[in-house]
Amino acid sequence: MVESFFPDNLEKALELRQKKEIRPIAGGTDLMVRWRRPAGILPAFSGDMLFTKNIAEMNILQKKDTCLYIGANTTLAQLIEWKWTPRLLRLALLEMAAPAVRNVGTIAGNICNASPAGDTLPPLYALDAVVCLQGAAGIRELPVSSFITGPGRTVLKRDELLIGIKLFFPAPDNDMVFYKKVAVRRAAAIAKVSLAMRGSKKNGYVKTIAVAIGAVGPTVVRLPEIERLAEGKTVLNAELLKTIYGEYDKFIQPIDDVRSTADYRRQTARNLLHHVYDNCIKWN
Amino acid sequence: MSDFDIGKPVRKVDNDIKLSGQAKYIADFHIDGMLYARTVRADCPRGIIKRIDIPVLPEGYFSVTADDIPGKNIIKFLADDWPFLAKDRVNYFGEAILLIVGPDRAKLLELAGRVYIEYEMIPAILTIKDALSNNFTPIFGSDNKFASYNYEKGDVDRGFSAAFKVVREKYSTGYQKQAYLENQGMIAVPENDGKISVYGSMQCPYYVKNALVQALAVGEEKVRIVQAFTGGGFGGKEDYPSLLAGHAAFAALKTRRPVAVLYEREEDTAYTPRRHPAEVTLETALDREGRILGMKADIKLNGGAYAGISEVVLQRSIYNICGVYNIENLRVTGAAVATNTVPNGAFRGFGAPQVIFAIEMHMESLAKIFSYDVLDYKKRHMAKQGDRTATNGLFYDEIKLPEMIEKAQEVSFYTSKRAAYQADPELHKGIGISLFLHGCGFTGSGERDIIKAQLKLRRKKDSKRVEIFAANVDMGQGLQTTFRKIAASVLDISVADVIFAYPDTDRVPDSGPTVASRSIMIVGRLLQKAAERLKKRWQENNDIEIIQDYEAPERIKWKGGESSGDAYPAYSWGVNVVEVEIDPLTCETSVTGAWSVFDIGQPIDEMIVEGQIQGGMFQGLGYAAMEVMANDENGRSRQNNLTNYTIPTAMDFAPIENHLMKTYYEDGPFGAKGAGELTLLGAAPAYASAVAQAMNIHIAKLPVTPEYIMREASENE
Amino acid sequence: MSEIKFLLNGGNISVNIDPTMRLLDVLRDILGLTGPKEGCGEGECGACSVLVDHKLVNSCIMPAGNVAGHEVLTIEGFSGEMRYKKLADAFAGAGAVQCGFCTPGMILAAEALLNKVPHPDESQIRRAISGNLCRCTGYNMIVQAIRTAAREGAGLW
Repeated sequence: MVESFFPDNLEKALELRQKKEIRPIAGGTDLMVRWRRPAGILPAFSGDMLFTKNIAEMNILQKKDTCLYIGANTTLAQLIEWKWTPRLLRLALLEMAAPAVRNVGTIAGNICNASPAGDTLPPLYALDAVVCLQGAAGIRELPVSSFITGPGRTVLKRDELLIGIKLFFPAPDNDMVFYKKVAVRRAAAIAKVSLAMRGSKKNGYVKTIAVAIGAVGPTVVRLPEIERLAEGKTVLNAELLKTIYGEYDKFIQPIDDVRSTADYRRQTARNLLHHVYDNCIKWN
Repeated sequence: MSDFDIGKPVRKVDNDIKLSGQAKYIADFHIDGMLYARTVRADCPRGIIKRIDIPVLPEGYFSVTADDIPGKNIIKFLADDWPFLAKDRVNYFGEAILLIVGPDRAKLLELAGRVYIEYEMIPAILTIKDALSNNFTPIFGSDNKFASYNYEKGDVDRGFSAAFKVVREKYSTGYQKQAYLENQGMIAVPENDGKISVYGSMQCPYYVKNALVQALAVGEEKVRIVQAFTGGGFGGKEDYPSLLAGHAAFAALKTRRPVAVLYEREEDTAYTPRRHPAEVTLETALDREGRILGMKADIKLNGGAYAGISEVVLQRSIYNICGVYNIENLRVTGAAVATNTVPNGAFRGFGAPQVIFAIEMHMESLAKIFSYDVLDYKKRHMAKQGDRTATNGLFYDEIKLPEMIEKAQEVSFYTSKRAAYQADPELHKGIGISLFLHGCGFTGSGERDIIKAQLKLRRKKDSKRVEIFAANVDMGQGLQTTFRKIAASVLDISVADVIFAYPDTDRVPDSGPTVASRSIMIVGRLLQKAAERLKKRWQENNDIEIIQDYEAPERIKWKGGESSGDAYPAYSWGVNVVEVEIDPLTCETSVTGAWSVFDIGQPIDEMIVEGQIQGGMFQGLGYAAMEVMANDENGRSRQNNLTNYTIPTAMDFAPIENHLMKTYYEDGPFGAKGAGELTLLGAAPAYASAVAQAMNIHIAKLPVTPEYIMREASENE
Repeated sequence: MSEIKFLLNGGNISVNIDPTMRLLDVLRDILGLTGPKEGCGEGECGACSVLVDHKLVNSCIMPAGNVAGHEVLTIEGFSGEMRYKKLADAFAGAGAVQCGFCTPGMILAAEALLNKVPHPDESQIRRAISGNLCRCTGYNMIVQAIRTAAREGAGLW
C-alpha cells in the first residue's frame, strides 16, 4: 500500500527522506504519466510518495542581487510570467507542452526527470544553472550538467531533495539568444532536437558563446572548451570551424526512435549548430 | 415556407447538452451492478495457440473465451474470417483472445497480466511485399488477397503502342488513425427474457445488431442496439464496434450482469482499424505534346490480418484512380492483401485519399516532364459533363471545376505566388493546388442490392410533432440537426417540433450505416420524400406513419462483376490550395495559407458544412504532414497514444478559407450531395505539391515528414 | 487513504481516498461528475480539463492530493455562470461544437484564458487551447467562438 506524505517544511521532508524509500512528487505531470494505469486504477507507484507542494522552502521565487533563486515547486507557468526569468529560458518554456501542463509542472521536475529531450535543459545548461540539493549532510550545489548523468539518471542521493535552482542575473552575456525546438507540431510535443544558445560580443570580438543541444545523446551536449575556441575571435576560419564542428560531431550521437530518425537529428543538430556559430560571428 | 433557405444555419439541437457536459457518452453511463471487461491480447503477430493458462479467478471474476460464444465466432462482414476471440490461432499482435470480467478494474488488470498463452510461432507477413512474395503461408485464401480486381476502359494497348513517351511512377501512403477524441466503448445489459441490449459509441447500429444476431445465435428480437453520444467516428466506428459489442454481450450473457468494454487510448490507437497503407503504380503513355494516350494503374492496399471491409475500400481506390481526369484508355488492377497486422478499415475518404494523392502528384510530374504549367496541364485533362468516368459510367451532372479553380486562384493568388516562389528558390516557399472528386454514397449498386434503406416518419393523432425513425447516427457531423431541418422545412414546421432520438434498433428501421457520405444524400432524400407524403396527409386526424424505401435512380447502370458503369450516383468536387514555407535548417513546414472551393450541391446547413470542411481539411493536412504510424518488427504499432501519434493542435496550420460552389443535385434532398469525406481528399496532394516546390524535390510518399523532406533534399544536392 | 478536502464547484467537499488517485477518477467515479472526459489518460488531449484555482489543469494526471485546500471547477459548476452562457452562445453561433467530447474542456480552456486575458488576439487563443485536442473542427471555428465571446462578453471577464 502506497502511503502519501504532505510535509509542510523542509525539515520534516528531509526526515522522511532519511527514514524511508520515498519518492518526491511535485506537479506530477511526469510521474503521473509514467506510472499511469487505465481509468479507475491508481498509478503504479511502487513506494511511498512525498508531496512537495506544502514545503514552504521550496516555494521561494526570488531575485537576490545577481542571483535568481527558483524554488523547486515553481511551476513552468509561474516562470513564464516572472519578470526576472532569463529570455532564453522563457523561450523554451513558452514552447513546452501546453498551458494545462505548464500550470502544474515544475522546472525542478523537468530537471529530475532527466530526459535527454527535457525542454528546459538546453537553456539551463547554456545558462550555467546550478541545482541546490539538501540532505542529511547539508546543502550542496552542482551545475545542472553534473547533476544529470544519463537518461532518467541524476546524482540525487536517497536522502536528498532538489530544493531549488540558481541562475545568475543578469545572466552573463545574455545579449544574444537563440532557441529552437524541433518537434512534430507546435504545441504539446516532445523535442526531436533542440538547441539553446546565448552569446555576447564586444568590439566585434566574440566575448562568450554557450551552446547546448538536446535530444542528440544521453544527456544535453554542451562543450565549454570548444566554445572557448570561438571566444576572442572576429572571424571563424574554415579550419577552426572544422575543428569546432568535428568536436561536436563526436557528441552528437542521436538515436532512431518513435519520434524521429538518427540521421535527421544529426543533420538538423548540425544545421542549427552551424547556424548559431555563423550568426554569432555575423551578429553585431 | 417559400422563402425558407435550407442552407441558412440554425442553432444545432445538441449544442447545449454537449457544451454543458451533460451529454452521456458510453463511459459516462452508470449502471448498477455493472462489471468491466479487460481484453487479453496476442503478444505475437502470428501463431498457433498451444496453451492458455488463466489464473484461478476470485469470486465474482470470470473469463470469457471463444468457447463462451453461443453462435458463430465470426464477425459478420463481407468474408467469414475475423473471429471475435481468437481460438486456435492469432494473426496479429494485439488480437483479442479472451476477456477477464469483474467489478474491480485494478484487479482485472492484475489478473489479465497473469494469463499465460503459449504459441507455436509462424513466420509473420508484415508488408505488402511479403504478402505477395510466396515465401509465406498465406493468411487468406490461396493468393493471400482479400480481393483483387482488374478492369479496362478503351484500348490501352493501342494507347501505349502510339506513345511518344511512357512515364512510370510509384507512390505510397501510410497509415492514418481516426483518433476520434472518444475511445471505443460498449456496454451490454442482459434483459430478463434472454434479450440483450447494447449501448455504445458507433456509426452503424444495424451492423452491430446483425453481427450479434449471428454471434449469439438468437432471433432478431433478442438483440437491441442503442447508440450513445458518440465522440467522433470518421469511419473508425463503422466496423469495429461490432467486435466490441460482441465482447460485451458474451460477457454479459455469461455473468448475467451488465458488462462494459471501454477502451483506453492505448488499446484504441494500437489495436483498432486505421486507414489502409497503399502502394500505387501509375504508368502513362503520352504523345509528343504530353497528351495522355493511356494509363495503367496498379493499387495495392495493406488490409491487415482479416478481410473486414477491405474489399470495398479497394473498390473506392480503383474507381477513383483517375481523379478528376478524363482518361480514355485505362487499365486498372488492384488488390487488398493480407498481412499479420491490425485489420484496416474505414476512415473518411475510404480508399480515395491514397489514389487522389497519387494521381495528382503524377499529373504534376507529367506536366513538369513536358515543361507545362501544372494547373494548365491538369485543366486540359479534366473531365466535363457527358464524359465517361473511370468505369465508363457517365458524368451526368454539370461539372463546375473551371469556375471553382478560378475562384480558388482568385482568393489564394495561386498563380502569381506559384510563379514568384518558382523564381526564388531561396524563399523556400511553395504553393500547390489539388483537384478532386468524391463519389457519393455506396460504391456500385450497394444501396439498391445490399443496404435497401428504409426510413419511417410518424405523426401521432392530435400532435403537431413529427418523429423521424432512422438508424443513422450523429457522431458530431450534425445529423441530429440536418435531418430535423429537412423534415421541418418540407412540413413547414419548427425544427423543435421534429423528434429524432438517438437510434435504437427496437424503434428504428434499417436506414443503413452512417458512412460513405450517404446520410444526407441517400437517407436525407428518403426523409424528404417521406415528409412530402406526410404533408399531403397533414389534415388527417389520425396517427400517420410513412414508410419510405430506397429506390435507385433509373439512370444508374452498374455491372459489378465487370466494374463497368456508374460506380456512384453523383460526385462532389473540390479544389484545394495550400501554401507552405519551409525552414531549410530543420525542414519543418509551416502551412501559411489554405483555401478551398467545394461543390457539394446544396448545403443543408452552411455552418455544419463549413465545420465538415474545416475539420476534414485539417485531418487531410495531418495525413499529409505529421501523422506518422508504423509497425515494429512484430507488426505491432509503434504509436499507441496521442503523445506519439500526433494529430494537429490549434497552433499548427493557418486558418482555412472556404468557398462553396452551389449546385443542385436532382436526387438529393433540396439538391444536396455528399460532403463529409470529400473534404479530406485534397489537402495532402496540395500540401505535397507546395512542399515539392518549396524544396525543389519530388514527393512520392505520405506523410511528408521533415525527415523525408531532408532526405530527398540532400539526395538532390 | 487520506481525507482530502477541497472546494468543488463552490461547495466544500471531503473524500477519503488515496492521494495518488487521479483527480479525474475522483470526479467521475466517486463524485459522479462526468463532464470531464478521459481522452488519453496522459495529459495530452485536454478532454479532462478542469480549473484549479482558476487555472487550467489536466485532471487525468493530477494527483488528487495536490488539490487539497484548493478550488476545483468543473464544467458542471461553470455551466451555471453568466460567463459560461456567453461562451456557450458563442460556441453555438460559430459552429464550434461537433462531437462534443472535447467541448467541456475547450470551454474551460477559454474561460481560463479570458480570466487572464479578457481581449486575446488570435495567437493567444490558439496558444491557450493548444493542449485541448479536437479532431472534428480543425479549431478555426472554436477560435472564432472565443473571439466572439471575448468581444460580446466584455466586462464579464
